[in-house]
Amino acid sequence: MSFEVSIHHPIGERAINLAFSSDERLTALVGPSGAGKTSVLNCLAGLLRPLRGRIAVAGTVLFDAGLNVDLPPERRGAGYVFQDARLFPHLRVDANLRYGERLAPMGRRWIGHADVVEFLGIGHLLGRWPATLSGGETRRVAIGRALLSAPRFLLLDEPFASLDADRAEALMTLVERIRDELAIPILLVSHDRGEVERLAGRVVTLR
Amino acid sequence: MTTWLSPAEWSVVALSLRVSLVAVALTLPLAYALAWLLARRRFPGAILLDALVHLPLVVPPVVTGWLLLVLFGRTGPVGAWLEAQFGIVLVFRWTGAALAAAVMALPLMVRAMRLSIEAVDRRLVEAARTLGARPWRAFATITLPLSLPGIAAGAMLGFARSLGEFGATITFASNIAGETRTLPLAIYSGLQLPGAEAQVARLSIISIMLSIGALVVSELLVRRAGGSRAHVL
Amino acid sequence: MPRCLAVLRLFCAALLLAALPACGGAGGADRGPTVLAASSLQEALAEAGEAWRAQGHAAPVLSFAASSALARQVEQGAPADLFVSADEAWMDRLERADLLRAGTRTDLLSNRLVLIRPEGGRTRGLDDLGDGRLALADPDAVPAGRYAKAALESLGRWQEVASKLVPTENVRVALALVERGEAALGVVYATDAQASDSVEVVETFPEATHPPIRYPTALLATSTHPDAEALLAFLGSAEAQRIFARHGFGSAR
Repeated sequence: MSFEVSIHHPIGERAINLAFSSDERLTALVGPSGAGKTSVLNCLAGLLRPLRGRIAVAGTVLFDAGLNVDLPPERRGAGYVFQDARLFPHLRVDANLRYGERLAPMGRRWIGHADVVEFLGIGHLLGRWPATLSGGETRRVAIGRALLSAPRFLLLDEPFASLDADRAEALMTLVERIRDELAIPILLVSHDRGEVERLAGRVVTLR
Repeated sequence: MTTWLSPAEWSVVALSLRVSLVAVALTLPLAYALAWLLARRRFPGAILLDALVHLPLVVPPVVTGWLLLVLFGRTGPVGAWLEAQFGIVLVFRWTGAALAAAVMALPLMVRAMRLSIEAVDRRLVEAARTLGARPWRAFATITLPLSLPGIAAGAMLGFARSLGEFGATITFASNIAGETRTLPLAIYSGLQLPGAEAQVARLSIISIMLSIGALVVSELLVRRAGGSRAHVL
Repeated sequence: MPRCLAVLRLFCAALLLAALPACGGAGGADRGPTVLAASSLQEALAEAGEAWRAQGHAAPVLSFAASSALARQVEQGAPADLFVSADEAWMDRLERADLLRAGTRTDLLSNRLVLIRPEGGRTRGLDDLGDGRLALADPDAVPAGRYAKAALESLGRWQEVASKLVPTENVRVALALVERGEAALGVVYATDAQASDSVEVVETFPEATHPPIRYPTALLATSTHPDAEALLAFLGSAEAQRIFARHGFGSAR
């Protein structure tokens, strides 16, 4: 079971109520703007603690309100590619990539640095400062950084948003490759039907 | 230039610089810790702590000096303990002048550092956490480096303030030539003497130049680092 | 937001109200003459001022500081009526600069110099000072300090204590340091030692070791208060002299 998620969390005047389980490699989470999709990702990553619920990914229980289980973010192994990338501005691309890599226990590293760089085509960017990268380059570095932290699962928040058609296509192919070759659970947030239909094995709607 | 000031005047400048440098260097960690507490943590009494930190800014410096005397004087609770345990005496010594300068500079340093810590985007710290960094590591590798311009600016501001510190110094450490007679105190003493106008003018010019210098460096540091560095792209 | 504005308005109103009294003309009929006096005269002159007020006059405005600081204020044009200095030198200076009203200068009081220690302190004298400190008024400018330096020099002790001095901006600060126990010894006027409960006299400096301590007093050239001359006369009167004697001052003879 890739994802077993049940979350209840009030946000402002509304509340997030979500429950699903999925066995697919890539699960898509869709819903209207403001429904709380990013908040769901934050709950999975350990950045937001739901009021009630239970979260288990690939068999590991990350959160269980009833049993008072709440793993801190650094112990969950979520490879989180944020919508705003969040590259560290004071580190060059190479250092950004290595940030999570350094912290990953040796036994859990399942992909090498050189492989990721080649996979994502970011070899020529290694010496650059994040501020100098284009939108698409930033996204790819962010994905690389997440992959190199030896994640147990991936969280992708609107990874194709505001990219031009070519870039988006290239990135989508990339995600397909990750889905097919790297075999770790992926939860993808998107508002685009086309992307979702192409990539997801299972679609969950958040109202 | 070396003949413009007399040796006695040079030693006043040297004493002032030493006192101010020591004051800032020793206060830096405390100021940063307080800044981080106030910026990143909510706890009962946070407002009280904030007020306490800012007290030397708004309370008359003489009052601060008097409080220091009450606490750190030879007959004060802390001062007596320091003398008994370590043989450290602060009154009438340059170390006392440094303490007075440090206390007066602390609020300014905390303010500058707090602003720069708050400017560090929390989302960057969140990203670091998801990549496997424990809270302390995330702080050391993300928040600390990104708030460095604030640390430097705060230090320069504190240094400039220390150079100009008068009221608390003269009340706590007294005005002893060669020990606690820093630049402002020397200028004050010069004013008491008939016919020392030239000396007062020279020392005042030095004082102004040092303060402007410190402020300019502080401003340059903040600008060079740039506010955008501390934000998410 | 409206609440903020209300608070702000209240604050401004309070500020204006507080500022009103200051708008009243200076030197109104309900304020007495302004007296600048050496800090050692604090208690005695306050009591004399009270006696003056009890006679039906407006209470004098008293300002105490080191004679050197006060003289400088007068030189800078500070508006005042009387000046009581703790030594001749500063009064001479003002006289030379024509800042005194001619013919009004007289010697008012005299004083003695004493070596003091904190109440219950164990320092027996200068020999006993060790690494303790000797507090005194700034010998470069303040009369009390000048007398002290003269006395120590003529006793041949100046060199040895020079490195242990705490010079203060007026004699009362030196007194306070000894009171607090921060300084092991101090040199102040006999009247200061008497005024304080927390110090005791170790020894009195022989009069021969220092210039006579005299308190000259005079009207300032800029004096405008109608009562000023009368106040000056009162300070020299038998009643005022009795008050000063109670505080330990000697007569000017």
